[in-house]
Amino acid sequence: MSIKFFRIVQCAFWRMGSVTDDEVIRKRLLIDGDGAGDDRRINVLMKSFTKWCHSNFSPEEGFSQYQRMLTSLAQCEFSMGKTLLVYDMNLKEMENYEAIYADIERSITSAHEKIAECKKEIQRAKRIRKNRQEYDALARVIKQHPDRHETLKQLEALDRELQQLSHIKENVEDKLELRKKQFHVLLTTIQELQQTLENDEKMESDDTQESSMENGD
Amino acid sequence: MGPVELLHMSVFSQSFSPCGRFLAAGNNYGEIAVFSLSAALSPDASQASQKPILNFTAHDGPVFSLLSTDTHLLSAGNGEISAWSWAELIKKSTKAAWTRKPSYETSLEIPEINAMIINPKDNSLIVGGGDNNIHIMDMETGIFKSVLKGHTDYIHCLCFKEREEEILSGGEDGAVRIWDSRTNRPVHCIEVFKYEECARPQFGKWISCLATDSDWMLCGGGPSLSLWHLRSMSPTSVFPLPGCQREAVFYQDLIMSVGEGPHVSHCLHGGTVKAQIPCTPSSLNTLALNLKNTEHRVMTVGGSSHQIDVFTNFSYKAFSLSF
Repeated sequence: MSIKFFRIVQCAFWRMGSVTDDEVIRKRLLIDGDGAGDDRRINVLMKSFTKWCHSNFSPEEGFSQYQRMLTSLAQCEFSMGKTLLVYDMNLKEMENYEAIYADIERSITSAHEKIAECKKEIQRAKRIRKNRQEYDALARVIKQHPDRHETLKQLEALDRELQQLSHIKENVEDKLELRKKQFHVLLTTIQELQQTLENDEKMESDDTQESSMENGD
Repeated sequence: MGPVELLHMSVFSQSFSPCGRFLAAGNNYGEIAVFSLSAALSPDASQASQKPILNFTAHDGPVFSLLSTDTHLLSAGNGEISAWSWAELIKKSTKAAWTRKPSYETSLEIPEINAMIINPKDNSLIVGGGDNNIHIMDMETGIFKSVLKGHTDYIHCLCFKEREEEILSGGEDGAVRIWDSRTNRPVHCIEVFKYEECARPQFGKWISCLATDSDWMLCGGGPSLSLWHLRSMSPTSVFPLPGCQREAVFYQDLIMSVGEGPHVSHCLHGGTVKAQIPCTPSSLNTLALNLKNTEHRVMTVGGSSHQIDVFTNFSYKAFSLSF
């Protein structure tokens, strides 16, 4: 709207000097005619200004016409001021929106990054869970087997028992040997004694035979 | 495809393309259907985008196993392995790049191939099937370089441990055997049905699903789905799932498994069943996760139905693709 306003004012002032203009603006003016609202007001102002310049008015009429033109001009200035303010406001709004847009872009990228991080965390957590499960499974199997200290202690006790028993066995064997030897000695002495007794008897009986034979002669 | 055939269709295997934008599924009629995931997942998807872009008969018998390498789709049916170039499939050409057969001892019976995996370290294909043996084929030359014998009944599933370069195989005989892939010798044999806490004699002793995650192994089938610690060779958790599980995977901190029953079970390593998500097929045979492509990160399940359920958020079913 503001662009159109400026163009038309430009065109209106140039029309006096008949400078070549854009075909589009010319066509628009031809079609548009007076325009609406502000455009119309400016056209009317221009027309009344030229009429006022060229025609002869009475001083009161001229003055009233002059007043009317001034009011018209004031209205035009007012609306121009308004549109300028609107233009400034639009620019500021645009900046505001740009800022918000950039903000949102940033938060989107940070959200993406967070998502990627969380995904990595999930992978890690899954691995940890798997390792824990495997550990638990193995631990269960290991628990089924008896405690190592217990078995070691049992082994030691058995060892000691074994040693003791072998000691005893040795002792008993030694004793057995000794007794065997003693008995052997005893038996041999008995046998020898028996032999000597037999020999003695034999010798005695031989002696008596000899003496009886001697006596018989 | 008449309505009766659709009714009796079962999806046995699935595989995602290397770019992650296409899904190939194999059914019991020997057909492979290629679906475009980018079309089905796009905002302006329609009924037509949930139909396959290409559907062709690949084998005489059911397609039990599908596997994607960087350039090809490998499919296995009754005793033979065919390779199809993904680039050609996307252009709707159904000519196989090659078809090979492992060397079988008896030439009378042609045993089916149930599972295929790739050993990325030496670029070889490991195949297990009905002849109780595991065949290893070199991908570049196509020669079957070794056979791992040890199972006494057919092999259901295979799995590969990258770090130790070991192959795990589970079979109908109830044993999970661990083989060293460099020396091709058996390393361990775990008979799952002998462990009381896992065994379910009413279902049998067969092992139909295997999955590994570094030191841990999941196995299930006849016995309950259980989590094993491989270093100590002991079962650490047994999951109280009612049916027999046909496929299980490790995903982040969860274990997802499918089997008998129209749901996908989410379980935790501790042995608790966290959730059971309902699906359309009445029992599920295969579960696949598309982890190669971050845009189309979906889980798809297929089973005794001509429909394949697609989950974009793993907690609920988004939509179904249909053959």
